[in-house]
Amino acid sequence: MAIPLEARSLSLLRAGNSVLDDVSFTINAGEIFALLGGNGAGKSSTLLTFLGFLEPSNGDVLVNGSSVRNDIAAARSAIAYLPESASLYGHMTAYENLSYFLDLAGKPANREDIDAALDKVALAEEARTRRLQSYSKGMRQKTAIALALLRETPILLLDEPTSGLDPVAIDEFHDLVKALANNGQTILMVTHDVYGACQIADRVGLLRGGKLVGSFSAENGERIDTETVHAAFAERETA
Amino acid sequence: MNAITRIAREEWRLWMRSKIVIVAALIVAVLLIVTSVLTADRITAEQSQRLDQQIAAEKTFFSQPDRHPHRMVHYGHYAFRPPPPLAMFEPGVDAVTGQSIFLEGHRQNTAMFADNKAAADLGGFSALTPANLYQLLLPLLLIVLGNALFLRERESGTLAVMLAQGQTGVKLALGKAVALLMVIAIFMTPLIAIAIYSVNLGESMLAASALVAGYSVYLCIWGAIALAASIIIKQRAVSLGFLIFAWLFTAMIVPRFAINTSSAVIYAPGKIESDLIMLAEQRKLGDGHNAADPAFQQLQAQVLEQYGVEKIEDLPINWRGVVASNSEAELTQLLNRYSEERMTLEAKQSHMFDLFGLGSPSIAISSLSRTLAGTDLATHHRFLRESEALRFDFVQSLNKVHVERLSYADDINRNVDAASSMRARVNSDAWQVLDAFRFAPDSPQQRLGNAGLSLTILAIWLFMVGGVILLAAKRVKL
Repeated sequence: MAIPLEARSLSLLRAGNSVLDDVSFTINAGEIFALLGGNGAGKSSTLLTFLGFLEPSNGDVLVNGSSVRNDIAAARSAIAYLPESASLYGHMTAYENLSYFLDLAGKPANREDIDAALDKVALAEEARTRRLQSYSKGMRQKTAIALALLRETPILLLDEPTSGLDPVAIDEFHDLVKALANNGQTILMVTHDVYGACQIADRVGLLRGGKLVGSFSAENGERIDTETVHAAFAERETA
Repeated sequence: MNAITRIAREEWRLWMRSKIVIVAALIVAVLLIVTSVLTADRITAEQSQRLDQQIAAEKTFFSQPDRHPHRMVHYGHYAFRPPPPLAMFEPGVDAVTGQSIFLEGHRQNTAMFADNKAAADLGGFSALTPANLYQLLLPLLLIVLGNALFLRERESGTLAVMLAQGQTGVKLALGKAVALLMVIAIFMTPLIAIAIYSVNLGESMLAASALVAGYSVYLCIWGAIALAASIIIKQRAVSLGFLIFAWLFTAMIVPRFAINTSSAVIYAPGKIESDLIMLAEQRKLGDGHNAADPAFQQLQAQVLEQYGVEKIEDLPINWRGVVASNSEAELTQLLNRYSEERMTLEAKQSHMFDLFGLGSPSIAISSLSRTLAGTDLATHHRFLRESEALRFDFVQSLNKVHVERLSYADDINRNVDAASSMRARVNSDAWQVLDAFRFAPDSPQQRLGNAGLSLTILAIWLFMVGGVILLAAKRVKL
C-alpha cells in the first residue's frame, strides 16, 4: 500500500529565498502528523506543495506514492484541505457553502448528508441557514471541517486549524480529528500550538528556517511529552 | 449541473445579494429602457414627419401655377432623409449632418436642420441615446461586476479552496465568464426589443441581427477585459484603477485623439471653404442667366451651325433655355468635382478614424453601429449624391421645358407688359418632371460589407482578450 504523504528532500525557493530546505518525512495511513514551527518556518508552504499550489525547486512531494507535479488533479482529489482562515463565502449559508464546494469537488451531497456532517462538528442547527458573515471564527472553522468530512478523502491537510478557537472548541476539534484518524484518514496538521500538537499528534516534526530540525513520536501508547517538545521548540526559536 | 455553470450560478447569488450591484444594475436598466423608449418614440415620429414633409414638398411643387420655367428652377424643391428604423437605437451622424436639403438651380446647398432641438444640445454634450449607453455605460457596469471576479476569490482565500476541490483555473475563469455572459444577455434585451421593433418598421432582419451580434461581441470584449484584469492583477484597487483607466483611455481619449489625428493627417476643407475656393473656377463658366455672356459664344456658334441659322432669334428652340441647360450641366460638373473631392477626403478621414478601432473597441463598435443602422457618414454622402442627382434631373427637365415650350421672343419680352409676362409662362403640367424622392439606407448586405473592417477589429479584440484570459487562467497562482 502506497504511503499517503511523503516529502522527499523537499526544497522550495520563493522570490529567491529558501523557504524549505531538504525536508523529508512520511506520514502513514491513519496517522496524525503535526508540523510545528514559528512564523515563517515554512509550515504552510509545505502543505501547499502537497496541493500543487507551490512547485518544489528540488526534491519531490508524493501523494499516495505519485509525484504531485505529475498529477496535481489526482493529489487534490485525494486531499481535503482546511485553510487557516476557514475560507468560505460570507454571503452564503453553511448549507449553500457546503453544497457548492462539494459540487465543485464532484461529490454532490444532499441536505441529510450535510446535516449529518454539521451534526458531527456540532454546528448549531439554527446557524445552518444563516449566512457565514454572521458566524464566529469557530463556527466558520466547523463548517470548513464539515466540508473536509463530506469530501471523504483519505488525506486531510489542516493549516493552523485551532488558531482563534476558544478552548472548548479546540477540545471538540481535537476529538474530531482523532476520530477521523481512527477511521483511517491520514492527517497532516501544521500549527504553532505545541500543546495542541502534542495532544493529538502521533508524531510531531519541528520545522525551523525551512529545515526539519526535530521529530517526536508517541511511544507505548503515551502522548508526546509537551514539556520536551516545548523545550526543543523554545530552544530552537531562541537559538 | 457542471462546475462551470455552478460557478456562474454562485456568482449570480453573490450579485443578487449585493445591494450595490442590484442598485447599479437597476439604474442602468432604467436608463436603458427610458432612453430606448424616448429615442424610439422620437425617431418614429421623425420618420413619419419627414416622409410627410417629402410628400408635401412634392405636392407643393406639382401644384405650382403656370410660370416661367426658370422661376420653377429657383422655386426649388426639398429632399428629406428620413431616419432609418435602426436610428432609434443609433441616430449616428444625423444630429450633426442635417437631414434635409433645399434643391435649386445653380447651387448645391448644404444639408440643413440638424436635429439639435433642445437648447441644452448646444452646450457641447450630445443627447443620450441607447447606442451611447451601450458603448459607454454598460462597459462601466461590466467593470463594476467583473473587476473582482477572480480577485475576490484570491483575497478571501476561497480560490485555494476551489482549486483544492480539483477545479482548474480555466474552469473557474469560464464559470465567471458565463456569469458575465448572462449579465450581457440580460442587458442585450432592450437592444433586441429595439431590433425587433425596427424589423416591424421595415428594417431587414440581417442588419438588425448583425447589430445585436456586434454589440454582444463588444460587451463580451469588455467583460473579458474585466475578467482578464481580475485574474492577472492581484490587488483590487489596482485592478479597478486599471480598468477605469482602460475605459477612460479607449472610450474617451482614443476616440478624440483619433478625430484630431484623422483631421490633421487628412486635411479636408469644409463645404463653405471648398465653395469659396470653387468660386473662382465657377466665374469662368459664365452666368447662365445672361445668354449674351461671352462665355457662351462658342456654344452659340455650335447651336447656330447645328440648326443652320444665322441668328439666335431664328432658332426653333429657346436660346436662353439652351444657355441655362448648358450652364447648369457645366456648373454641376464643377460642383460635383469639388463635392466628390470633399467627400473622398471625409471618407478617408472616416476610414483612418475606424482604424483607430485597433486601439479602442469603442471606436470599432460606434463605427459598426452607425454603418449597420444606416446613419453613418457614407449614407449621408449617398443622400447628398442622390439628392444632387434629383436636383440636376429636375432642373435640367425644367430647362428642357424652357428650351422647347417657351419661345425665345416671348422669353426676352417677358417684362414688357402684363400680357407678355403671361405669354412667357408655360402650363403647370410641365412641373410633373419631378421624380419622387424616397431615400432609403443601403441594402443590409451592403451595410454588412461596409462594416467589415469594424467587425474584423472587434473579432481581433475578442480573440486577443480571450487568449489572455485562457493563458492567465492556466497559470493562475494563489
